[in-house]
Amino acid sequence: MKKLGHKMILASAGSGKTYALTNRFVQLLACGAPPERIVALTFTRKAAGEFFDEILNKLARAALDPKEAQRIGANIGEPQLMAADFLRMLRAMVTAMHRLSLGTLDSFFAKVVRAFPLELGLGGDFEILQEHGVQLERQRVLRQLFARAGGELDEAQVDFIEAFKRATFGAEEKRLASRLDRFIDEHQNVFLDAPDADAWGNPQRIWPEGSAWLGKPGDTNGADEVIRRWAAGACANEKQQKRWDDFLEAMDVWAPGAAMAKSMDYVMVKALEVWAVLGEEDVELIIERKKQTVPPEIGAVLKVLVSEVFRGELTRRLEMTQGIHTVLSGYEAIYHDLVRRAGKLTFADVQRLLMPEAGAPALSAGGEGEDGRLFVDWRLDAKYDHWLLDEFQDTSHGQWSVLRNLIDEAVQDPEGRRSLFYVGDVKQAIYAWRGGDPRLFREIFDHYNEVAPGTIEEGRLDKSWRSGPVIVETVNRVFGDAAVLARMLPTVAAERWTREWRDHESAKPQLGGQVVWLHGADEHERAALTLKLLSEINPLERGLSVAVLVQSNDKATWLADYLRREGGLPAVAASDLHVCMDNPLTTAVLALLQAAAHPGDRFAWEQVRMTPLASLVESGEGLTREVLRQVHEEGFARTVETWLRRLEPLVGADDSFSRERARQLTEAAQRFDETGGRDVAEFVQFAERHVVRDAETATVVRVMTIHKSKGLGFDVVVLPDLEGNALATPRRDGLAVQRAEDREVEWVLDMPPKLFHEHDEVLAAHMAGAEADAAYEKLCLFYVATTRAKRAMYLITKPLSEKSTSANFPRLLTETLGAAGPTETARVGAWACDAVFAEGDGKWFEAISVVGESNTEMQCDRGILVLPEIDPVARHPARTPSGTKTGMVTGAVLFGATSASAANFGTAVHQAFSAVEWGGMTPELLALWNAAGLGDPVVAEARACLDSEGLGSVFGHERGFEVWRERMFEIVLDGAWITGVFDRVVLKRDSQGRVVAVTVYDFKTDRLVAGGEAVVLARYAGQMDVYRRAAARLAGLSEAFVRCVLVLTSLRSTVEVMGAGAD
Amino acid sequence: MPSPRLHVLPWSQPLIHAVVAWLARDWAGEGPLDLTGALVVMPTGQSERRLREALASHAANHNQAVFPPRVVMPAELAMLNAPASGVATKSELLLAWVQTLLDADFDALREVFPKDPPQRNFAWAARLANEFIRLQSTLTENGLRMADVPSRAGENFPEFARWQQLGELEAACEAVLAQHSLYDPQAVKIAFARNPAPPNGINRIIVAGTPDPLSLAIKVLAAYAESGLSVDVLVSGPSEGGEAAALFDGWGRPVPETWATRPFSPKDFAQRVRLCADPSAQADAIVACALGYGTPGGKLDVGVADAEVLPSLENGLARAGVPAFNPEGRPLRGGSLHTLLAALAELVMREPSFASVAALLRCPDVLAWLGGSPVKLLTALDDLHSDHLPATLAAARAKARPGPLANALEEINRLRALLLVGVFPENVRTVLTEIFRERKFDQARPEDLRAIEAAQAWGGVLTELETAVKRFPGLAAVDVWELALRAFGDSQRFDDKPEGSVELQGWLELLWDDVPHLIVAGMNDGRVPDAVVGDAFLPEGLRERLGLKTNAARFARDAYLLHALEAVRAEGRGRLDLLVGKTSAAGDPLRPSRLLLQCADADLPARVAFLFSPAEAARPTPAWMRTWKLKPRTDAKIETLSVTSFRDYLKCPFRFYLKRGLKMEAVDPHKAELDAMDFGTLCHAALEAMGKPDSPVRDCTDANVLRGFLLEELDRTARAIFGDYPALPLVVQLESARQRLSKVADVQAQLRADGWVIERTEWSLDIVIGGMPVRGKIDRIDRNELTGEVRVIDYKTSDTPVNPVDAHVRGPKRTEDVDALPEFARFSLGGEDAIWVDLQLPLYLEAVAAEYGHAVACGYFNLPKAAGETGVAIWTGYDADVQAAAMRCAEGVVAVVQARRFWPPTELPVEHDDFGVLFPQGAEASVEWPEAEVRT
Ligand code: SF4
Repeated sequence: MKKLGHKMILASAGSGKTYALTNRFVQLLACGAPPERIVALTFTRKAAGEFFDEILNKLARAALDPKEAQRIGANIGEPQLMAADFLRMLRAMVTAMHRLSLGTLDSFFAKVVRAFPLELGLGGDFEILQEHGVQLERQRVLRQLFARAGGELDEAQVDFIEAFKRATFGAEEKRLASRLDRFIDEHQNVFLDAPDADAWGNPQRIWPEGSAWLGKPGDTNGADEVIRRWAAGACANEKQQKRWDDFLEAMDVWAPGAAMAKSMDYVMVKALEVWAVLGEEDVELIIERKKQTVPPEIGAVLKVLVSEVFRGELTRRLEMTQGIHTVLSGYEAIYHDLVRRAGKLTFADVQRLLMPEAGAPALSAGGEGEDGRLFVDWRLDAKYDHWLLDEFQDTSHGQWSVLRNLIDEAVQDPEGRRSLFYVGDVKQAIYAWRGGDPRLFREIFDHYNEVAPGTIEEGRLDKSWRSGPVIVETVNRVFGDAAVLARMLPTVAAERWTREWRDHESAKPQLGGQVVWLHGADEHERAALTLKLLSEINPLERGLSVAVLVQSNDKATWLADYLRREGGLPAVAASDLHVCMDNPLTTAVLALLQAAAHPGDRFAWEQVRMTPLASLVESGEGLTREVLRQVHEEGFARTVETWLRRLEPLVGADDSFSRERARQLTEAAQRFDETGGRDVAEFVQFAERHVVRDAETATVVRVMTIHKSKGLGFDVVVLPDLEGNALATPRRDGLAVQRAEDREVEWVLDMPPKLFHEHDEVLAAHMAGAEADAAYEKLCLFYVATTRAKRAMYLITKPLSEKSTSANFPRLLTETLGAAGPTETARVGAWACDAVFAEGDGKWFEAISVVGESNTEMQCDRGILVLPEIDPVARHPARTPSGTKTGMVTGAVLFGATSASAANFGTAVHQAFSAVEWGGMTPELLALWNAAGLGDPVVAEARACLDSEGLGSVFGHERGFEVWRERMFEIVLDGAWITGVFDRVVLKRDSQGRVVAVTVYDFKTDRLVAGGEAVVLARYAGQMDVYRRAAARLAGLSEAFVRCVLVLTSLRSTVEVMGAGAD
Repeated sequence: MPSPRLHVLPWSQPLIHAVVAWLARDWAGEGPLDLTGALVVMPTGQSERRLREALASHAANHNQAVFPPRVVMPAELAMLNAPASGVATKSELLLAWVQTLLDADFDALREVFPKDPPQRNFAWAARLANEFIRLQSTLTENGLRMADVPSRAGENFPEFARWQQLGELEAACEAVLAQHSLYDPQAVKIAFARNPAPPNGINRIIVAGTPDPLSLAIKVLAAYAESGLSVDVLVSGPSEGGEAAALFDGWGRPVPETWATRPFSPKDFAQRVRLCADPSAQADAIVACALGYGTPGGKLDVGVADAEVLPSLENGLARAGVPAFNPEGRPLRGGSLHTLLAALAELVMREPSFASVAALLRCPDVLAWLGGSPVKLLTALDDLHSDHLPATLAAARAKARPGPLANALEEINRLRALLLVGVFPENVRTVLTEIFRERKFDQARPEDLRAIEAAQAWGGVLTELETAVKRFPGLAAVDVWELALRAFGDSQRFDDKPEGSVELQGWLELLWDDVPHLIVAGMNDGRVPDAVVGDAFLPEGLRERLGLKTNAARFARDAYLLHALEAVRAEGRGRLDLLVGKTSAAGDPLRPSRLLLQCADADLPARVAFLFSPAEAARPTPAWMRTWKLKPRTDAKIETLSVTSFRDYLKCPFRFYLKRGLKMEAVDPHKAELDAMDFGTLCHAALEAMGKPDSPVRDCTDANVLRGFLLEELDRTARAIFGDYPALPLVVQLESARQRLSKVADVQAQLRADGWVIERTEWSLDIVIGGMPVRGKIDRIDRNELTGEVRVIDYKTSDTPVNPVDAHVRGPKRTEDVDALPEFARFSLGGEDAIWVDLQLPLYLEAVAAEYGHAVACGYFNLPKAAGETGVAIWTGYDADVQAAAMRCAEGVVAVVQARRFWPPTELPVEHDDFGVLFPQGAEASVEWPEAEVRT
């Protein structure tokens, strides 16, 4: 096939990233690459699906229309391609569909692990744990951890408690379970990245050259006395005096790890300002706005006090960090045994299994690699020649390390028959907190190009196919102003950003639109402005797509509802809705379940009684019995369904919302039932957590988080939630993790407060890094927000208060777009508003009217699928002869040993008799029985019967008789279809060979006491009647000539069952 | 190879009718339709049932009955009169494998186990054993054993060594079986197939509508044909196509080349194929159709190619009241008996957890067995849990108060004993007969019949295991249970078919269905045809080499089936609809089945454009709407007030009513540790003892002795409540309590040294305000023997120290409209507007005034997390005016409570609202309350 180089594409927002990917894919096909040899990996399942659909549609368009073929051909640098060529590719794609490797990284990894379970140290196949599963497993693990196998705490538990105390020192916890839950949420990933205790709170790792603060302890004995005495003399006034007293007092109370009193902080800061000379010479401190001279001897003492505070704090933090590690490893140990080893893995586990850092063998496309590698080609029925990686800025280092070797092989392929193509936008790296590692982008590029310059070709896409000129210009102004960014962001961040920045340009210069920036004092006002804007433009009627972007899910839900309620707009929160908990109907049903399973729950009971359910529930006892029974018999879906149906008439006729929720509750129950769980409390908890994403339809106002808007474009975008603290604010979730160049964890520390870390070089350096990363990520977030709009964008922020200096996004807007307050009157349609900033055409939308579009000539039939005129096929209800039998079975009989063995015994005896044609016991017969492996008791029983007087007639030999043995029949009686088996039927034929009499024998092996005949007669009357009629019809004579005889083996006797006619 | 006679029946006629006609071709209707001696090979059990029924009704038309042929499925062909005895049962085979794996020497098996298994125990072995067994039966398709693979896989087979070692494992397993003179069932089949004894009483064989018999079955049939038995093969196919050979091979298997390329282009393709957003959308479409028929039975059946659609579909039809029948039956896992057994299994654990006991007690059958009132029992159970947090059955028994619950726990413990002592499975039977002793099952009632079937299935499992366990002794009880439960859970239960029901069947059944209108749901790639891509043992590449079923073969088979399903309903004879899912229930994107893309090149682009266009928009989201308003009882009596309840009223009158009037209190079944209140109570107990008149340390000034005393008291109380072995979280919480109390010791010692004497502890106050009795307990009253000062003190165990003023009084919020507040809640404190949030301490002072006069101070004794902040915080600047204001407020509250003014509620952020679940979109809007009208 034709060679295709390796490519890195930096694609700015809206510059057609997916377009580039699909083009690459088509290009590969065009160059003769078999589709199944192309691996294309995305992050979300949705993206994967769209990607695939897009490729096929592209090929289809080209195959259909020569012009399109030419256009696409030109785009991918293969102008010679004809429609026919695309058709060939299309056929190739659909034929290979099931073999394509085109999906998410997660699913790709899972596929690999499935192929090598034993090689990767798994016990065998595994299942992927979904979120609810993870929750349940965690609870199981904790229960195990907490349980005390009667008696003393075991060693592990003692250590655990010790560790837990250290981990929560100073703020000793009175809630283990809940705190632990938090620990796991916050730190589990860090732990799994660095399970080795050595990295946790280890001073040697953190301060290889030792820390100034952790030198040898100074002597603080009587120090405070010294200072108090000095202060008494040296203070100019009470205020100063008080400062020192308070300081000493606070010092006295303060314990490491705990918060620091203002009064203590005050003096510490002063001391640290002059730290270098403190104790060396006279130093001047400004205490209470008055100079105060601290002589060397006092300075020295103060210095010791402060140093000891530092030592105390740092030591404590180190201990806490170690404690946290021990706690987590205690939990993890059990989790590993109980969950992972049992073959239950999360996607994260799957990935970790494959990571070389975690000791996994490298993956290889096979061929002659050295041993110890996993050769994916054979087990996966695949050859991976070409790699396409999407959204590369979100790839984590772990993910990369799994793929690295496979991709190395591709890139270093001597004949260059294989290729790498990765695309993304480092300006949209908003998933760093989830492990996304934008720096990889360059590193990989440099890595390969150092070895052989030009290996990877760099491409850039800065032309926006999404946004019109007004939007693009604004974006350029805000994010392209190197000077301002340098002023506002940590240098590293500013440089990283500016290095990759290129001014964008709009590929749709004619596209009209507008950018307006408004001020709104509080969230209600901003919501109102949003509504005002939307009602002015009313995009939906114009067929324009519209989105309102916010920073949190709760905000999205709230705002969507505001717009629905206040403005009657069809607004939808594209966020996770707790559909089982946000309405009176489903919560009532859940309360009912709770009340049934936990009758002592007065809350649930009263809640039920406040709802129409009250009228449906007679007694608590009844409810508990009914609900538990139904749940255990049929599961939650059916149970919930039952109650919802009873409530149906009480739901307003026009209330489609509640009905939708009802349906969603049933669906949630279905999902839960799949776990096999039958515990009501567990289900209620599941339902509480169960979330659903609202349906995404073009014809609604979509309210969503900026994160979720990534990759989407809308004609109109409103941004009413841009507030927030300084861009350079690191996420403060617990532990600081210092990583080396190769991302390996160097050290982990529960970072002490600012005062401490800013006065320690190592820690300060780490924090600087963290702040830079935070600032960069935040900037990316707002870049994403402002690049969603195609035509118009409306920013609504709180006015900056004079004093606020916080370098947040509104500040960035102010500095780049100028203007600190409303300056101009902008027009949005008819509405004249006070804008802080406005560009473009206020009437941009008035020209636009609705445009209906139809994409394919084949249209899906939406009607109900019913055949006008058809006759049903006849079907008979099925019955068995014994199906007509009735009667009670007691539990004792049912679950006792006898019933099972009796059944077997019965069948065996029947089997024995089926071998008997005529006459009594013979050696051959015996041999036959033993060969068939019938047990001795059976043989004995059968033999006894054959020998017995009472049953002579059954097997007795007579001329001119014919016998059916174990003979099956099918018959339709009274419209029912019956399948039966005759045990033994004896037919008498006359001289002409016509059947003149029939006797049906049916063997009953029930253990009976003498005189049990009556019982049996009653029990089997119905069955025998069926046999009589069947025999009559099969033998072709009237029922009058059919005798039915029950053969009671245990009594060695027979009873005749009289037909309905005879008596 | 002797070729059978192939008959292509015209596929314009339903296969089932064609086959019946063929079988009865020389039957004139005289005498029974006697097919004795014929052996019919059919693909599935359901198709067999259809044939029997069809024969019966065919005969019925001549008022006759049928002696049916013998019917087998291809897989059974290799077992016809094979020796029944000596063949290992499922469980025996499994246990043999388990033993093999546990004994295996991994160093000799590095090709199979490059790494040592995670842990070498029964659970691991059982899981892997099952995989190996599955592997073996797949190989049996073509009469292969693991050991055969290396030789059969052909040239440069990369995993040669690995399969050799697998072969060795297999041999080892067979050896284990041999020790018990057992054979591996698969091996027996293969051996039998080598030269099959002709089945006795059979004189002809008919292979009917079986498009993919196993290769092994073909071997057997060939051998029979060889031995002179007549073999006829019936397939339905195009009558016009002529050239049968081009369509099917001699055994009626679709020729891949032909079918894989045959265009599937029914007229109005676009009307026949529908894209659906997700499983429930597919279900909706089908339900709508069923309803369209009114009585759909016999007109409409459904093919379910994607099992994921089934739950939505079954629930959907049930909701619409359309009878449906799923011949597949459903696994007994998740049935009530299974749940009960699973709970019982927990009892054999070393220490049955309280959770598992609770689960057992909630089993309906157990409740029924225990008799009495389930409500009382379960309530007691929850109380026990929340009061004593027992971790185990033992702990629960130790703490249960005499009564139904205690008896129940004893009963459970008795069952446990029975399970622990006896021998399996006798002990299990004993326990179950015990539980169900009283229960009578009426065979006439369907639900009882279901129970009976389940019980019998369980009986079967036990009998099979009984022998197995005898052969492989020394299994742990847990492991045996594990085996039994899995076997039972996997066994199926079959409902009987309701009159006039819509049948929901798997893809392979559909060929035999003669219903005019067929809808197939889940026509998606990977479902039809299913495709193997990548496997730990048998990747497609190896399957091809070994002559096992390949993707190509599956594709051809399914292509043929699709054509057949369409052809029989073409030209107005009926209708075939195909539903294509766009995403799975979990939201994974799905692709349409490749079968639907079988078309002339000219049509392909349009097909693609159609099949890959976005699905019909999922349901639009209706705007939020309130189903109904809550109507709480308005008549709940409130005859006394507790001191603390004033806080509740001041916070929100309505929630006050819910809490104090309706006494709404939730049970937390997941409670795993002390809540704030339990924790407080625990500390209080010790503190009270310290201050009692007869307390030895009442005047103690030695912190250590005080400490000793407090901790001693704490331990005593804790042991009394939680037993000797509290669960881990409690251990930690007690630890926390210890730390706080030992710090109290220091403070208390100092207080006493400063002259403070504890006058009273836990002093029940009993005052009447505006005619309303107000109750409460004062933690302690101190008098200073030096100064004579008196002060009322309340212990506070919250994590951060509480300042009395902040706890009782707040300033107005920026946005707050103060005038909206009740007048009595407002007063002026040091010239500032102040609002009461709590009245606890003032009420205490009121109560003690009678005895101590008004010059009494009050405050909190804080026992916070941070030891440093432990100590007494006195309400500074408390004076008569404050007291007066407080009492005015108290009287105000009492008055409005007496006037039953509980409206309007305060709007609180959901996360800080215990009642949040009642108030979606606002409290006031959620409730219908009489006063509401009055106000507006
Ligand atoms: S003060 Fe000393 S003597 Fe008095 S009780 Fe305490 S310890 Fe005993």
